[in-house]
Amino acid sequence: MARISAAVLSKYLLSGELSCRGCLGARRVSFSSESASYSARQTRHFTARATPITGPAPVPALAFQSSNPSPVPLRQQLKAQARALKSSGEKRKKNADNQTVPGWELTVGIEIHAQLNTARKLFSPAAASFNDAPNTHVALFDVALPGSQPSFQSDALIPAVRAALALDCTVQPVSRFDRKHYFHWDQPAGYQITQYYEPFATDGRIVLYPRDGIAPQDGEAIEVGIKQVQMEQDTAKTTAQPGGVQWLDFNRVGMPLIEVITLPQIHYPATAAALVRKVQMLLNSVDACVSGMEAGGLRADINVSVRRSDDTTGPLGTRTEIKNLSSFKAVEDAIIAERDRQIALLESGGVVVGETRGWSLGGTETRRLRGKEGEVDYRYMPDPDLGPVVIDDQLVRHLKDWMGVLPDAEIDQLIGDYGLSSKDALSLILLDDGARVQYFYNVLDAIEARLGSNADHESLATSSGRSHALLVANWCLHELGKLTEVSADLGMTPEGECRVPSTDLAAILYHLHSRTITAKVAKELLWSVFRGEIATGAVTAVVEANGLWFKELPDEEYAALADQVIEGEEKVLGEFLRFQDGKSKAYPHGKLMFLVGRMLRSGPEQMMDPVSAERVMRARIAEVYIPALQAKK
Amino acid sequence: MSARTGLLRGLCLHHVSCSAKQLQQQQQQQQRRLLNHFISRDPKPAVNGQDAPSPPHFTLAVKDNIATTGATASSTTTCASPFLTSYRSPFEATIVTQLRARGAVVVGKTNLDEFGMGSHSVHSASGPVAQGPDNDQGQGQQVRASGDYGGEARSAGGSSGGSAVAVACGEADVALGTDTGGSVRLPAAYTGVVGFKPSYGMLSRHGVVPYANSLDTVGFLARSVGTIADLLVGAGGLWAEHDPKDPTSLSPAARARCASGREGYRSSLTAVLKGVRFGIPLEYNIEELDPRIRDVWSASAEALQQLGARIVPVSLPSTRHALAAYYVIAPAEASSNLAKYDGIRYGTREDHGGSAGGESESDVADGGVLYAASRGRGFGDEVKRRILLGSYTLSSEAMDNYFIKAQAVRRLVRRDFDRVFALANPLHEPEAFDLSDLPDSVAMENKFGPTEVDFLLCPTAPTLAPRLADVTAQQQSPVDSYMNDVFTVPASLAGLPTISIPVQVAPEAAESPGRETGPGAAGLQLIGQFWDDARLLAVAGAVARALSEPT
Repeated sequence: MARISAAVLSKYLLSGELSCRGCLGARRVSFSSESASYSARQTRHFTARATPITGPAPVPALAFQSSNPSPVPLRQQLKAQARALKSSGEKRKKNADNQTVPGWELTVGIEIHAQLNTARKLFSPAAASFNDAPNTHVALFDVALPGSQPSFQSDALIPAVRAALALDCTVQPVSRFDRKHYFHWDQPAGYQITQYYEPFATDGRIVLYPRDGIAPQDGEAIEVGIKQVQMEQDTAKTTAQPGGVQWLDFNRVGMPLIEVITLPQIHYPATAAALVRKVQMLLNSVDACVSGMEAGGLRADINVSVRRSDDTTGPLGTRTEIKNLSSFKAVEDAIIAERDRQIALLESGGVVVGETRGWSLGGTETRRLRGKEGEVDYRYMPDPDLGPVVIDDQLVRHLKDWMGVLPDAEIDQLIGDYGLSSKDALSLILLDDGARVQYFYNVLDAIEARLGSNADHESLATSSGRSHALLVANWCLHELGKLTEVSADLGMTPEGECRVPSTDLAAILYHLHSRTITAKVAKELLWSVFRGEIATGAVTAVVEANGLWFKELPDEEYAALADQVIEGEEKVLGEFLRFQDGKSKAYPHGKLMFLVGRMLRSGPEQMMDPVSAERVMRARIAEVYIPALQAKK
Repeated sequence: MSARTGLLRGLCLHHVSCSAKQLQQQQQQQQRRLLNHFISRDPKPAVNGQDAPSPPHFTLAVKDNIATTGATASSTTTCASPFLTSYRSPFEATIVTQLRARGAVVVGKTNLDEFGMGSHSVHSASGPVAQGPDNDQGQGQQVRASGDYGGEARSAGGSSGGSAVAVACGEADVALGTDTGGSVRLPAAYTGVVGFKPSYGMLSRHGVVPYANSLDTVGFLARSVGTIADLLVGAGGLWAEHDPKDPTSLSPAARARCASGREGYRSSLTAVLKGVRFGIPLEYNIEELDPRIRDVWSASAEALQQLGARIVPVSLPSTRHALAAYYVIAPAEASSNLAKYDGIRYGTREDHGGSAGGESESDVADGGVLYAASRGRGFGDEVKRRILLGSYTLSSEAMDNYFIKAQAVRRLVRRDFDRVFALANPLHEPEAFDLSDLPDSVAMENKFGPTEVDFLLCPTAPTLAPRLADVTAQQQSPVDSYMNDVFTVPASLAGLPTISIPVQVAPEAAESPGRETGPGAAGLQLIGQFWDDARLLAVAGAVARALSEPT
């Protein structure tokens, strides 16, 4: 069990709060804690203290009711669900099998909030910060001191416009800021400045492909329209303390966000999750966004409605909104749960009420937050202190020209030019917030520089010449991935460098590609570089010093080993004869590799190449053993 | 002398002294206490012959919704609201800093209607402001017999009533006010001093606690037009100073562009009245206009005509909708601006009888009762009225019928002004006007339309200063009170520079003969085209001189 400090553990147990900025530590944890009754909190406080931390902490039973928004440790919540499912005797359907309900059509629209990558807040010159000491970056306007005024930081436009372009939006030459009014302690002015009436970007679209993870029902591609993208302020960060005390960190208040609003054009839960994932990928790829959903930099609200699929010409069903989803899985799970709730309600003759609902991570159903009658009228009003935002077409064109390649184009390139599978291409792009693919290019450049003397550029682009690229991709994904399974992370920088310098990996792979070291040696070298046992740039020297060069056995010795292995394997050889005689259609490749494997194990490994071993084995069988068997007949 | 006479109402007087001078001082002090025009006051500034600051200093009273800093009593900024009784701003308003640099010595923070909302300076957490019978003690122009002071105390106007009285009493050479819909001009008219509202965007609002941002301006009150003109125009004039902290402060480039079509900014202006065209807006001659004011209005026009000015009747057809539009837009913005006063950081939190914290928490979940209770107790009635009004007009069901319509009216009001002024509005493209929209009463200058004018001449308020008793005893409904703004609001909606200068009204027109003579002064308002502030001040100075001379 992980060692967790008592302070962290007590925060987690008592107020459901995680110290890290993860999806569980999402904002508005305050909401659940504020509505938990004081006495319940006291009880838990007491039991947590009285129970050894290693034992299962008893939690009041009421906390398991999903309608109760009390903060319950996730593990306990999941356990309780598993128990409930077990006792009810039904199995939870896998999401992949739960994309549709016969007779019903689901419609989903999504609003995504993302923190813009800027140095300053949206309306004050205070620094935008993430993990600095609380309340250290606060300007007069951020806390709405009487008489203070907003000062629009036009720098925010650059990531905002980039985001809009990545989402294929039309950037509006003139947009305006409006005030959205509601009372909450995390909002010192009593209103949030947003763009309601005239957003800065409208009418965009996102195309989703199967590789993005859309539902199979959506076919080869689906386009989802973006209604608008608007700039707005973030709120203060609330940290719930025991005893109904809330701590506020105004570092976050006024930080620039964009809100991306899609049209209600999504009909499958998986596609909704894919869309949110893709928006994150697009925003990352144009450097518009600070961090992803896992780090709390992205949050989604979803609007869900259902109607009978035999009448899809009429209006959409009444929709409900589910707020503040902080993981891709939560998006998909919440949609499925809400869809099923609405259908069950309608099928039993009920009516769906327009309301705002919540979702707790790992839950099985959404819960009502507030109904229509409790709905806040935001009383949107143009902000009388702020002038219009005028975005010059030249700026938009400039940003468009310098935006670089968008992920979809890059994935196509990786597949088309380097022969990667679409799954590998997507993984490469998504890993380390886009830094992994940069690392891939760095390694590729370095290895091509070494290969350059032997092969001109054109031959590198041909299918035989690009085998090194596939090799690099495989190592960047899979071998590098194995390193992190065991110990610390790679320390990948946005520039595409990590604890394994790209030039060193290129050196290893160059030797591997040119068959001067074996794969086994290459893997050991990688580990040594990762552990820092080999100094940067010293890969070749280490190979030299330790005599790791691949000195291949002569073919005769391979043949001798082959003979040794085949000894007593007449039954296996019979398969080859059957193929030779046309009695079986396929060459018994599996049998061949079985023999090759035995051959490699029986010889001096560092001097053998599986390719050579296979070649010799195949030749021995064809040239010596088959004729011998045939002769026997 | 005590520093906080304004605050310490009901204070026992010191033991009687035999010195006549002290007695006189005590009487003055008592009177001032009754006037209640200061919320906080600095001790007598230590300025004497020897160490007078250079540049030459002047005394400045600051309306208490304008932030000041410092260790003295006047460093609170209360806005006359229970929410801010002890609020000390960590920063100073740009306008105060600018005036200090020009020799201003702040004498105190003046009383007002809470957050600037009111027309009589009676809606204040520090109690109502009154103007006494002796506020001509300085160079005030009222001549009035002292009467039954307590019962007959008059309204000082609002919301900058304290500032107006401070100037009228001679306790400050200049006072800062804020003018959203007439809050500088109305008190100036009631107390017989000069009140000036500049073009919107000329003076920085940074540090001015907003009431309605799109209308709010910082204004000046003084005993003569020249005092204000000295500060605003000419070399080192405030007109040229852009404040980057105020997003509505005109940029240096915009200032230069606006001033390029105007006189009086680059070189000083010798104002002659000969040939100046004054428009008399027909729509301002309303039924409710006090006959004494109508008389002084027409007498003034005649006097100016005799001095060579041209008097031209003009029509501003949208005027009759302006007041309604103002009372939609201003409360809407106010409801938004005042949302921050919620008992969390300002004011005291309502805890429902001090029960356990857990209970008030559940109140929050029940729909924000925590805020409702704090705000219900923390705001005065007039502010609450406007917050409710504003919240309604912004609600999704009423927005289209109120807020949007009011903005349309606001545009029409501005177009009306643009049509009658000879100068173009530098903030808007010239528009074509349809002559058939004009009433028949407007005479045509030629086939292109009626005469265009330089300034508009009209009363500042429809009545003279009412009795405070009548105002506070709720004999006036809120709507009656709003009616006082009918002549001041149109220029606010259009953002135009406007000045109210005092004129004497006939003393024989007393309302209850034999008992009281009524206020002796009314305000006459001059409205100019946008950014024509320099010429407006020059001409207003000439008009004030001309009207004060016996004909």
